[in-house]
Amino acid sequence: MPTVRLRDADEYPDATRKMFELSSQWFAYDFKQPPAMSRVMAWDPEFGAPHGRAMKRAMGPGEFTRAEKEMVAAVVSGVNACSY
Amino acid sequence: MTAHTAAGKLQGLAEDAPWYEAAFVTGITNALNVVADGLAEVLPPLDDATAGDATAVFAEIRAFHGGLVPAPFGALARDPAYLADVWAAWRRAFSDQRLTRRLKTALAFAVSLTTRSSFGTRFHLAELRRLGVGERGVMEVIGVTQMFSSYTKIADTLQLDSDMGAIAPVDRSPAPGH
Repeated sequence: MPTVRLRDADEYPDATRKMFELSSQWFAYDFKQPPAMSRVMAWDPEFGAPHGRAMKRAMGPGEFTRAEKEMVAAVVSGVNACSY
Repeated sequence: MTAHTAAGKLQGLAEDAPWYEAAFVTGITNALNVVADGLAEVLPPLDDATAGDATAVFAEIRAFHGGLVPAPFGALARDPAYLADVWAAWRRAFSDQRLTRRLKTALAFAVSLTTRSSFGTRFHLAELRRLGVGERGVMEVIGVTQMFSSYTKIADTLQLDSDMGAIAPVDRSPAPGH
C-alpha cells in the first residue's frame, strides 16, 4: 500500500491534467486514472517535468526501438526488485 | 517491472515468448557476473594449457564471442561438465531467437550496469560495440538504465502498487511443443 495518498487526476490543476493526457498517449492506453507514477511525478512539476523529458528522450526511438527500450526498462526494474 | 512489460506489450512485443527470452538473459547474465566479480581475485581462469577436457568448450565460446573466452568461463573450467552446461544455457540465451542477439546484449549490459557488475558492464559493452551498436545506441541503453533506476526507487520509496499489469494484452498461445 502506498505510503502517500495518490491524488486523483481531478485534484490536480488544469495544466497538470493536460500532462496526464500525454500519459495516455505515451502508453497508447486510455486510463481511468493516470498511472500512479504519473500522478507522483506531477506532484512537483519542477522535478517531474525535466525528469519526464529525460525519460522520453532516453525512450525515444533511435538505434533501439521504443518497445526494445521498454524491455530494457523491464529488466532494470526486475534486477532492482521493483514490482511496480 | 509490471509497467514496462505492459508498455512493451502495448508497443508491439505482445507475445510472451520475447519476455521469456529476456528473463533468461537477465538470469544467466547475473549468474555469470556473480562468479566473475566474486572470484576474479581468488580463482584465476584456466586456459587451454590447463583446462583439460574443457578446451573443446573454450573453442565453442571463442567462436561465439569473437575469439575470447570470458574469464568466468575459464574459472568454471575446473569442472568441465558444469562449464559445458552453463555454456550451453548461455549460448541459447544469447542466440538470435525472437529477440536479436544485439538486443539481448543490450539487456545484459543494462542488467550489469544496474547490478554494478564490473565484469558484466565491461564485457557486454564490448560485445555491444562488436555487434555494431554505435555510441548513440550505447547512450540510449545507459539513459534507459539510469532513468528507470530512478523511477524504480521512487516507486519503492512510496511503496506504489503496480497499476498497469492489467492493461497488457494476454498471450493465450500454448506452451512450446504443445
